[in-house]
Amino acid sequence: MAINETFKTLEPNIDTVSDRTTVSSGLFSAGAGSLTAFYSSSNQGASSASYLNVYDKAQTESTREVQFAIGYASYGGSGSIGNTTKTTAGNRETAGMYRQFANVLLPPGTDKFQFTNFASASEDFYFVVMNRARMREKMDPGNWELRIAAQAGGKDMKFIDDSGATTTPTVNQAGRVFNVVSGSISSGTADVKRTAAAGGALGNFYPDLGIIILDAAHLQVTGSITTTRSPNTFDNTNAQWFKAISTGSYFAARREEEITSTMYFCRATNQEFNFSNNPTFATKSGDTEGVFTQTTFEGDPKTYISQVGLYNDTNELLAVAKLSKPVLKSFSREAVIKVKLDF
Amino acid sequence: MGFLDNTSITVDAILTKKGRELLARGDGSFNITKFALADDEVDYNLWDTAHPNGSNYYGAVIENMPILEAFTDQNQVMRYKLITLSKTTNRMPILNLSLQNTDLTYGGAEVPIIAASTDSGDETFTFELNDTDVSYLVGYENGAEKWSSTLQQTQDDEKTAAVVTTGEVRLRAKQLRTAKSARLTVTGNQTGVTKSITVTTLADPNA
Repeated sequence: MAINETFKTLEPNIDTVSDRTTVSSGLFSAGAGSLTAFYSSSNQGASSASYLNVYDKAQTESTREVQFAIGYASYGGSGSIGNTTKTTAGNRETAGMYRQFANVLLPPGTDKFQFTNFASASEDFYFVVMNRARMREKMDPGNWELRIAAQAGGKDMKFIDDSGATTTPTVNQAGRVFNVVSGSISSGTADVKRTAAAGGALGNFYPDLGIIILDAAHLQVTGSITTTRSPNTFDNTNAQWFKAISTGSYFAARREEEITSTMYFCRATNQEFNFSNNPTFATKSGDTEGVFTQTTFEGDPKTYISQVGLYNDTNELLAVAKLSKPVLKSFSREAVIKVKLDF
Repeated sequence: MGFLDNTSITVDAILTKKGRELLARGDGSFNITKFALADDEVDYNLWDTAHPNGSNYYGAVIENMPILEAFTDQNQVMRYKLITLSKTTNRMPILNLSLQNTDLTYGGAEVPIIAASTDSGDETFTFELNDTDVSYLVGYENGAEKWSSTLQQTQDDEKTAAVVTTGEVRLRAKQLRTAKSARLTVTGNQTGVTKSITVTTLADPNA
């Protein structure tokens, strides 16, 4: 660094290091790792079979936020009004949902979901779609658990994915796909009660999209969720699905984000940055302009570093970092400041 | 027995508005190549050579001062840069401007402002007008108007600032119904020495 300079060049690969790290955190509002109370909106879902938003707080709370959406999808349109012969006017929301999920999640040419170890395709399913702002980039496989409370005669269920037992997940156009199985992660590791190979997958989990779908027919057999799903009828199936989740009172999930960080090592050697353009460092007017305000600085100047600025070739300030406290710099002191910039 | 002072400090940087703009452009203009250090928050008058505990405590007040978080406005940070000078230096570089606070008249002659610093004869300067509603800022080189891309560097998003990198600019008043003032800040690109003046364009009765 030359005399009379305020900028110092950062040497590529010596002063600059890039790194990519995966950061995981609780998926729900304020970084919470789990929800135990669920709220819907009173004016939503009463007449439409499309979906329900699920909130973390009651409707009276102004700070409540959408955490995820739930709903029911049927290939034949059950649970919503309208039929294929056009004799009944209706939007067939559940059929629309099924086709949308199929288009997004299945390979071209496949129009129905077929879950692992089942001979036939699934005609309908329940879905959970994480809010994008909560999920950010993707859900963390192996680190979610959804509990539902069974209706009379059925049994409570705990759903997790089988990513812990899968070293090579299925990858299709929707990214990675894992089976949804019964089990729990409450002990810290996945405790699978019944594998997909043993009892058939209960659904699919798409971590890159934040989507969980659960086979409605399979859950009906186990008695966990016994909803009404009649052709050409608005059954408010979403409300029944919401009730099962709400009374289950537990949904834990984490999100994952890849963060690219670049570290800049800003090295101030003993000979550098020992003078300041600060107006209190030297007199700013009159005959003594430029003379140090502290006479002890003559021959032994002292400065304080409180900010680090990162610039491009045309001296445009692109990023700035501040130190928590000023750091003393002099001809007898050196400083290395590692500036971390996340994208 | 004690612990050694760790002189390596890790801090998190934030992007400035300019940094975000260049990053969003995605054309490679976001390319960090150098750094500078600054001490905007420090008042060296707090350096207390009469401290009862001795010389190690001269800077105690400064060193124990918590610092405000960084601002994203690139014009509000890194204003007073640290500079490398010879150890024998006993006087800081001075920025001389050919003009102090000035009034401009619409239709009148352009007002030249020439900058020179005492320590570096070949230094270029950044002239930044914080409100371009007040005046045009015209870059000059060797007495001739020059608008090369290297002279006029940027005009920010909100069009409230104009930056010209050269040794001389000329101010040309804009036509205003009411008088308006702006701050012209001149910074030496090499030494970091800086000075500001107020530029006022007077009201034009014909506006």
